[in-house]
Amino acid sequence: MEVSFRKDIEALRLGAGQVFHGEGILAITKGLLQSGVAYVGGYQGAPVSHLLDVMVQAKPYMDELGVHVEACANEASAAAMLGASIHYPLRGAVTWKSIVGTNVAADALSNLSSPGVKGGVLIVVGEDYGEGASVIQERTHAYALKSGMCLLDPRPDLGQMVRMVEHGFALSEASNMPCMMELRIRACHVRGSFECRDNRAPAVSTRALMEEPAGFDYMRLAHPPVTFRQEKLKGEERIPAARRYVVEHGLNELMPGRHADLGIVVQGGLYNALLRSLQQIGLANAFGESAIPLLVLNVTCPLVPEQLADFCDGKRSVLVVEEGQPEYIEQEIATQLRRRGITTPLHGKDMLPLAGELGVEVMAGGLSTWARQYVPGQTAQQGEWIDVNRQRREEVARMLASQPLPNRPPSFCVGCPERPVFSALKLAQQETGPVHIAADIGCHAFGTFEPFSMGHSILGYGMSLASRAGVSPVMQRRTLSVMGDGGFWHNGLLTGVQSAIFNGDDAVLLIFKNGYTSATGTQDIISTPDEAVKEAAVDKQQSLVDKNQTIETTLKGMGVQWLRTVHSYDVARMRKTLVDALTSDFQGLKVVIAEGECQLERQRRIRPWIAQLLKRGERVMRVKYGVDEDVCNGDHACIRLSGCPTLTLKDNPDPLKVDPVATVIDGCVGCGLCGANAHAATLCPSFYRAEVITHPKWHERLVHGLRSRIVRALQPA
Amino acid sequence: MQTTQPICVLVCALGGEGGGVLTEWLIETARIAGYAAQSTSIPGVAQRTGATTYYLEVFPRPLHELQGRRPVFSLSPVPGTLDLLVSSELLETVRQIGNGMTHPDRTQIITSSARTLTTAERMVPGDGRADVQRLLDVVRLFSREHQIFDMSRMARDSGTIVSSVMLGAIAGCGVLPFRREHYEQAVRGGDTSPEPQNRQTRASLAAFAQAFDRVQSPRQQAKWVREVVDKVVDDVARSPDGEAGTALPEAARKRFPAAVQDVLALGYARLVDYQDERYAATYLDRLSHVLEAESKRDPAGEKDWAITRETARWLALWMAFDDIVRVADLKSRAQRAQRVRREVKAGDEDILKVYEHFKPGVPEFAALLPAAFASRLKAWDRRRIAHGKPAWELALKVGSHSVLGMLSLRVLAGLRGQRRRGSRFAEEQAQIERWLAAVVAGTSDGSWDLGHEIACCGRLIKGYGATLERGKRNLIHVIETLATAQGSDADAQPQARAQAIAAVRTAALADDSGKALDAALIRHGAPARPVQAQPIRWMRKPDAAHPTEGGARNTPSTQGKSR
Repeated sequence: MEVSFRKDIEALRLGAGQVFHGEGILAITKGLLQSGVAYVGGYQGAPVSHLLDVMVQAKPYMDELGVHVEACANEASAAAMLGASIHYPLRGAVTWKSIVGTNVAADALSNLSSPGVKGGVLIVVGEDYGEGASVIQERTHAYALKSGMCLLDPRPDLGQMVRMVEHGFALSEASNMPCMMELRIRACHVRGSFECRDNRAPAVSTRALMEEPAGFDYMRLAHPPVTFRQEKLKGEERIPAARRYVVEHGLNELMPGRHADLGIVVQGGLYNALLRSLQQIGLANAFGESAIPLLVLNVTCPLVPEQLADFCDGKRSVLVVEEGQPEYIEQEIATQLRRRGITTPLHGKDMLPLAGELGVEVMAGGLSTWARQYVPGQTAQQGEWIDVNRQRREEVARMLASQPLPNRPPSFCVGCPERPVFSALKLAQQETGPVHIAADIGCHAFGTFEPFSMGHSILGYGMSLASRAGVSPVMQRRTLSVMGDGGFWHNGLLTGVQSAIFNGDDAVLLIFKNGYTSATGTQDIISTPDEAVKEAAVDKQQSLVDKNQTIETTLKGMGVQWLRTVHSYDVARMRKTLVDALTSDFQGLKVVIAEGECQLERQRRIRPWIAQLLKRGERVMRVKYGVDEDVCNGDHACIRLSGCPTLTLKDNPDPLKVDPVATVIDGCVGCGLCGANAHAATLCPSFYRAEVITHPKWHERLVHGLRSRIVRALQPA
Repeated sequence: MQTTQPICVLVCALGGEGGGVLTEWLIETARIAGYAAQSTSIPGVAQRTGATTYYLEVFPRPLHELQGRRPVFSLSPVPGTLDLLVSSELLETVRQIGNGMTHPDRTQIITSSARTLTTAERMVPGDGRADVQRLLDVVRLFSREHQIFDMSRMARDSGTIVSSVMLGAIAGCGVLPFRREHYEQAVRGGDTSPEPQNRQTRASLAAFAQAFDRVQSPRQQAKWVREVVDKVVDDVARSPDGEAGTALPEAARKRFPAAVQDVLALGYARLVDYQDERYAATYLDRLSHVLEAESKRDPAGEKDWAITRETARWLALWMAFDDIVRVADLKSRAQRAQRVRREVKAGDEDILKVYEHFKPGVPEFAALLPAAFASRLKAWDRRRIAHGKPAWELALKVGSHSVLGMLSLRVLAGLRGQRRRGSRFAEEQAQIERWLAAVVAGTSDGSWDLGHEIACCGRLIKGYGATLERGKRNLIHVIETLATAQGSDADAQPQARAQAIAAVRTAALADDSGKALDAALIRHGAPARPVQAQPIRWMRKPDAAHPTEGGARNTPSTQGKSR
């Protein structure tokens, strides 16, 4: 990837006493270094991509410290990497997007948790839940419970988050349990500051190597018969040890309040939302001083029964503020209280919504229900603003009733190489009739949005080909599976291709080869064009993904016999190839590779290059497409076949016509799709391709001069 | 402004507009000014042109007054408690208002008047754009104070992106307790020289300054709002290149009421420019029949001669139907060349090459041939298609900047005379007459509304090739099924049919697949359109009888796969 994190890397070098200013996820990264982490790995994905991206770019500094950084092929390989801490006193950290990443890692996590760890292990998961999330909505909490891992959910204050990173490793070592730390989206992107400590170079590291491997110790294998003993150890030794550490180091925070006979138990990550909610109903001030005593759980698994009992005992009522379902924490608290015969009325999901993010408004709703019941002098009036909000929303909705606001989902970037392929797919289906399309995770999933609205199912990252295995055998027409190169390497190669070949399935796979895992932030993958190639390229504008043939050779090596590679922007040829694949007599796996480099990455390369050329007064050709306003028929078929942000509408300059005409605005990168579509789909003849040549060569100027004189002579006004 | 509660600012932007940098600047500004602040965002994949928001909280009293106490900030905006909403896109502003974010007693709104149309708005065959006026009304109604100006244009003029304009707006409105130099220092990022080295920094500061001044001087606001509204109006009023000059003949000006004169003049000029005076005369003549019918219905012209007026509009456009001759003519004019130069922002020293994308097929050529030849040519093409071949088409990239390209365009444009003799000309005239007859009949035998609705159906006719064919099919179908009373419901009220036609027309413009149209037809007791034959490459599953024969390299087994 070609984004630079120079400033961020400087921040990682800060020493004791210096103040860090920046985003939460970078603070966590700094926390890892302050904890003497020995190895770091993971798989990118919002909202935690930044952690790994920065570490990868900070390679020189990591080498200084002796920290090994690995950009893993997927979450499973990242989790497996943690095996290093089973035998050796190495602190290891990995990161990924959850819930999806944790699902992929689950196998290794079970096999890691069973023998337990010697060196501290911290798994930083981006809890992609609620507003802005891009995955199925589930809690990571379940994994901590079933595998016997600790789960940290720190208060979203940079200082506290870093402190919990440091304690996380120690907790893991004290309990032999791997620790997970869940960070919600906004916590990752919160901008704040904290006072740094010096980074610690790990005792054993890439600079201080171990002489000998550990001796053979069957107890450290996740293999019968010791697995049975390990299962017992979790309950008998590890969890109690973890609880001791949590209490001794005060990881969970007790905050006093005026109404000592009431209490609220809250996940650390929800602390700020809770405080604002309390403020809204007049039970807290701006400095976090609450009228209700709080127990803030920075560690949500394991819970400490004694701590909970002490907090709840003798109170008139306790409210558990917990996000998502099922309400694991509330259930455990209820069990613990019941066992101890503590009868304090317990509330939670009976007043708060079971599903979805607990934003301030939602939380305040449940909170005021509880407060009205138990807090003296609390009236309905404190909750009034919520009704006012609802009325306001209804009022706006009424005003817009005749024409509700259209959504604005993300979509392909300007000049994206994937858009033309969907144009071709749309046209191809006009010839073959509609086909079942198994979609996948990645930028190409934007093809499920307008104007394409394609895709019948999404079963996970790299799963498209596998997910049609049950469909294609029972369908008259062939099915099509869409997959990005990101998904292909993440696991599509094995779960999809290998299985299809092994079973001799009659399937069609369309691979988007854009050279990067783009949706996750254009990180490099094994099929990314080499830096050397980028350096060598004379014309920096050209797509370079064709220079890396790893995907093609891999597929051939696995025995794929029907393989076609098509340039993404050649819509006509792509349509023909897709029709061939869907109708060919060849049975077995047919693979179409759409080749076109991620436009984001290309532009990052092109812009500075062009600027340079212009500065040096050298010849530069810029391409832009345009629409003739008086020829455009105002039907917008071109837009229904493209959706490019720069192909938009303007009022019709013709006073006789009423419908707006299409127009190409600034920002067009001249990818050529407009022209290709105009031909492939026989759109109206209003499109033109303009080539603007700055600093032309002398002979060009000469020819052009003569030519334009004649042309002008031919032109009428 | 409250002094015991944080100041809450919500920023709405689209992916790639620099919202991240903006929050960085704001936090840095707070640090410089010595205030506690916190920002959050939810970028995710919204970076890919989607809509996203950034949220900022600042405590209104400087750190040194807090005796070491630290405010606890919220990570997400709380509906109804915003002090400031800044947005780079009008519809997104309204979306947040719709979410209940702003409060008319508390929230100041600074929004760009610029629209970045959503795909849903752009892909509609007709006009799917949100009504700007209504959006502005919402902004006015749900804000304590509002400023509206075109942030995108301001950013473009300063050669930067909209984030620095938004920063200037935030600084200018004074909701946050920072001084102008604090913001500028944050933008400069260390560079204290009066004239920053970095070009981007200079551009950012320029945009910042512009927005700052704009927001600080509220007087200009009213003017700006007006401009936004007026823009829509005068854009429509502008007349296109070319046709100025050809005046309406005296006789016509006498014959037609004043209410239709402007459209009539445009229509007449269009047809002279398209064909010749004779053709334009036919236009006037055809229109006079409609006028006749309407004046019987509405002698006093109480309805402002709307039937004649609408017919005048759509008739002119239909009679000036697009063909290769017309397109070649339009694309080879000098004004057009200049327009392209403007649009692509080519410098005076730059060389500009323009390639026209044409793909004429058999119909386009047949259009210019006499009926006999034309039908033979079309028959040949049909046979090709029947044999599974694609329809014959000629994909061309004509360089209108080149001598040969321009020459060929002019030659094509010169075939104007041939157009009359061509087969398509006759076809179009016949269909036009059919529509006009329906308008006249609807007006005189039905009701004024019925006539009017049928006239408005002229809007369905536009474009080329498939689009045009679809439009004609729809129009004819409407005329056949709804314009005249059907056997079954012969006594169906003209009013009812008028309403039906109105509804069906709107549906026809909703989506090109015609789903909405057919639904509307059936709803109004008319049959759905007949299904059009379309060649499809049919794929039968190869030997579906016994699957997984052949292809498989191994016979599938579970051995060695169990764990």
